[in-house]
Amino acid sequence: MADNKKALHDAVIAYKVDGIKEAVDNARKAGMPAGEIIDAMGDGMTEVGILFERGKLFLPHVLSAAQGMKSAMEVLGPELKDSGDASTKRASVVMGTVEGDVHDIGKSICSTMLQCAGFDVHDLGRDVAKSAFINEIKGGCTMCGMSALMTTTMTVQRDVIEILKAEGMRDKVIVMVGGAPVTQAYADKIGADLYGETASETTSKAKAISK
Amino acid sequence: MTQFYTRMGDGKRVTLTKEQILNDIQAGMADAADMAGVPDLTANDIEMLFEIISNKNRIVGVEPGNEVIVSYDIGQLDFTGDNGNSGNGVDVGRMEAALLHERALGADTFELAHADYSIKPVKPVIACEMQAMEEIQNEIVIPYFYGAMPNAGLYYAPDGPYGNPADLMREFRIEEAMKAAELTAEHLAKDIEYVAPKLVAAGADGFNFDTTASAGDADFVGTLYGVEALRKACPETYIMLGMAGESVMGIHGSIEYRGEAVAGKYPHQQVKMAEKAGANVFGPVVNTNTSKSLAWNMARSVTFVKECVKAASIPCHVNMGMGVGGIPMWETAPIDAVTRCNKAMVEVAKVDGV
Repeated sequence: MADNKKALHDAVIAYKVDGIKEAVDNARKAGMPAGEIIDAMGDGMTEVGILFERGKLFLPHVLSAAQGMKSAMEVLGPELKDSGDASTKRASVVMGTVEGDVHDIGKSICSTMLQCAGFDVHDLGRDVAKSAFINEIKGGCTMCGMSALMTTTMTVQRDVIEILKAEGMRDKVIVMVGGAPVTQAYADKIGADLYGETASETTSKAKAISK
Repeated sequence: MTQFYTRMGDGKRVTLTKEQILNDIQAGMADAADMAGVPDLTANDIEMLFEIISNKNRIVGVEPGNEVIVSYDIGQLDFTGDNGNSGNGVDVGRMEAALLHERALGADTFELAHADYSIKPVKPVIACEMQAMEEIQNEIVIPYFYGAMPNAGLYYAPDGPYGNPADLMREFRIEEAMKAAELTAEHLAKDIEYVAPKLVAAGADGFNFDTTASAGDADFVGTLYGVEALRKACPETYIMLGMAGESVMGIHGSIEYRGEAVAGKYPHQQVKMAEKAGANVFGPVVNTNTSKSLAWNMARSVTFVKECVKAASIPCHVNMGMGVGGIPMWETAPIDAVTRCNKAMVEVAKVDGV
């Protein structure tokens, strides 16, 4: 089983769709439960994210690995449902760059990483109205990720948190903040639940907090 | 045990022991060396960094004789912009800002900038920019450039004609995303070729390409080909090319400049490409990690930049400011950290300018 785990992990890092499919087929033939296969691939994706941030892999490679995982999930999803193992299901996340801010590359990479990690990502793009975040949360998103690249717009992250409090929804959602001027200290100050310095750090923390 | 006042990457004041500072210097250096495949700093370098960090004075400076050129980016926007735009909210004209930098602030070079500070929006107002350039050149003495960011993000949807690679890739339309990046690089190069020679014709002493590759590898490739075109059109003009980060983000992943993929290139490799394109000066950039200490960030930045300077055949003017060069991410960058990082860049990394 350990060999299969390693093979799955390595196949994801090699980011070839066919290679991932083959590793999944082999693992299934060896009797590995769907949940464990997904976890092993998820670990591989985490490493892919780190390699991306260290400039060793690039965005198309990340997406190719994600595409391989998506193909695998088409097979594994029904098995997972049949077995009643819902342990790998992750939260719905609304993501966006806050209103007044048009910088979205970092946020988009973060959305991609979260999607690859199994989250149901609702990426609203950039210059996203506060009300749009709130509406998505009312619609069922239990996590909210807000990005800001400017000191003039990072305050909108606080505004959304205040609206959540005013509407009695703050306890129902995990709020994540990030972006160049945002720091852990600022996240603490405005009462966010999670700060991510990088896309892979955000994803790791999101996985940990959503368990 | 003696505690030394220092800072975190978010500007927070902390005190650390000598051992903690040295550990952070080692760790920051090791991170850069591992990422870029460059040598560690020497024992003497590490000792110098510790002395700079632990200096009891609030402000430090380089030793006499070690002074370097100080050039500026963002033009008059450092006065007129708001605090979030690296400015001070002082509404002065472009002429007044240029002369204040020359005559009051000791700038060795300065530049004219569009409010949006990007190549693309200069196109429709090129005649206004040429007029302003000519008028200010009649008054100013120091080298006066035109500055703008290549900002390839403006060519992607919803601002531009090409699909947004991040959106396309999330739908696994990877080839379409790569094609969009390639078309963007070509478009950006053409816009540079249109804008930059006109400003040189209006009297600009040179052109400063600032925050290059902020939108990834296609941004860098488009800029390099744009620099080539400018060099061909204006053989004598002065071209500065400054970067956006220590590594070129691989949004395309394999787009090439003159047969070499640019994604994942580090400062010592970026500078060789800038040279090949025809730049006169290269501006390496290293981003600050807000969760690490000043010592960690400074050592990491110096490790990248020292190797860049060593590899370069052209002068290197390192970017130093909020969130780059080891300086904390803070609206008004703390002067103790600013001066320490600058001293380290000049005396350890041996940069030619700041």
